[in-house]
Amino acid sequence: MMFTAAMFALAVAMLLVLVRLFAGPTLYDRVLALNSFGTVTVLLIGVVGFMTERPDFLDIALLYALINFVGTIAILKFFRYKDLGQGLPEGEDPASLQNGDSK
Amino acid sequence: MEAFIDIVLFGFLILTAIAIMRLRNLFAVVMLSGVFSLLSAGLFVVMDAVDVAFTEAAVGAGISTVLMLGTMAMTSREEKPPVHNRLFSFAIAVVVGAALIYGTTDMPPFGAADTPVHQHVGPDYIERTPKEIGVPNIVTAVLASYRGFDTLGEVAVIFTAGIAVIVLLHGRTRPARSADARKKGKDA
Amino acid sequence: MNVSLDLVLDIASWISFGLGAFFLIVGAFGMIRLPDFWSRLHAAGVIDTLGAELIVLGMLFQAGFTIVAVKLLLIGAFVFLTSPTGTHAVANAAYVAGLRPLGLTRDDTGGTKTDKGA
Repeated sequence: MMFTAAMFALAVAMLLVLVRLFAGPTLYDRVLALNSFGTVTVLLIGVVGFMTERPDFLDIALLYALINFVGTIAILKFFRYKDLGQGLPEGEDPASLQNGDSK
Repeated sequence: MEAFIDIVLFGFLILTAIAIMRLRNLFAVVMLSGVFSLLSAGLFVVMDAVDVAFTEAAVGAGISTVLMLGTMAMTSREEKPPVHNRLFSFAIAVVVGAALIYGTTDMPPFGAADTPVHQHVGPDYIERTPKEIGVPNIVTAVLASYRGFDTLGEVAVIFTAGIAVIVLLHGRTRPARSADARKKGKDA
Repeated sequence: MNVSLDLVLDIASWISFGLGAFFLIVGAFGMIRLPDFWSRLHAAGVIDTLGAELIVLGMLFQAGFTIVAVKLLLIGAFVFLTSPTGTHAVANAAYVAGLRPLGLTRDDTGGTKTDKGA
């Protein structure tokens, strides 16, 4: 019963965060919403696992918590350096790489 | 209660798919496809396909987001407006979708125990695994022992694909750097 | 004895779930209603820390001393560490990119060395 109540709250939160994810307006709003959405999904999987009396599902929730973090950091690193960082020799300015590309 | 979760997750899935179609900003599309695979993995969890959900979470939400971002570093950030006729694509999508939905009517009900798949080798594995292998998880026993060479081949393929992707993503910087080095050499 | 302990745990779970659900929904409404990115950061913080941790706590009361409890503790620890880090990274990236709070011009925040704009 209490898991059902928690699940309803999670579903409502998911919907609202999803609306923000669709609406934007800036990319940072979207990343922020994506981060929160991941957290809520982790909780939802945990609660569903408890509701069906199979808490083994928590392994996946654990995996999600980690993947979510990696994904957020990758996206932000990309925003900041316009690249995932593999193309930058040490000491080179990110802007110069962009210029080099446009030539 | 599970029906409610199914409906909620499928509803979110459809919303996400529509948003992915309508958005032109490719960053937003990459993020939304991450959400799409999170949601579908949630659905797999609800349907008890925990191992598939594991794969979907790791590949769909994690690796493919990073790979798509890495790809986007080499292309533009905005989707170009379509050049072909939209109505034609829509008609194809409707026809294919209708065919697929028609196909599902022939499928056995979800979780039915008397489907042909479960009559063939499944009972054999269930019977023999505890005796021959002794692993509590039968799927693991099938993948890692009965079909061990098959799995080895798959792992080799995935490893090769990973190396190929790394080579492709690194390919861009090398000519630039060597050109730089050559220029410096000439100057000196 | 056992029954009363179960009852206490159930009540603790209800309270945790109730508070967690409250904070989740408040945070989610904040994500929708607040006017700009910087204020929405606060709403996201409410979801990621207080809401999430309270729900995990509620599940923890139901788990008992099992491997499930250990996994829940790990999830709680990861969410507690990674969510604020992620939120900080988003704020940092937005700041470096030149996004500023509503009603402020660029100079009011005293741009720093890292403030390259994008």
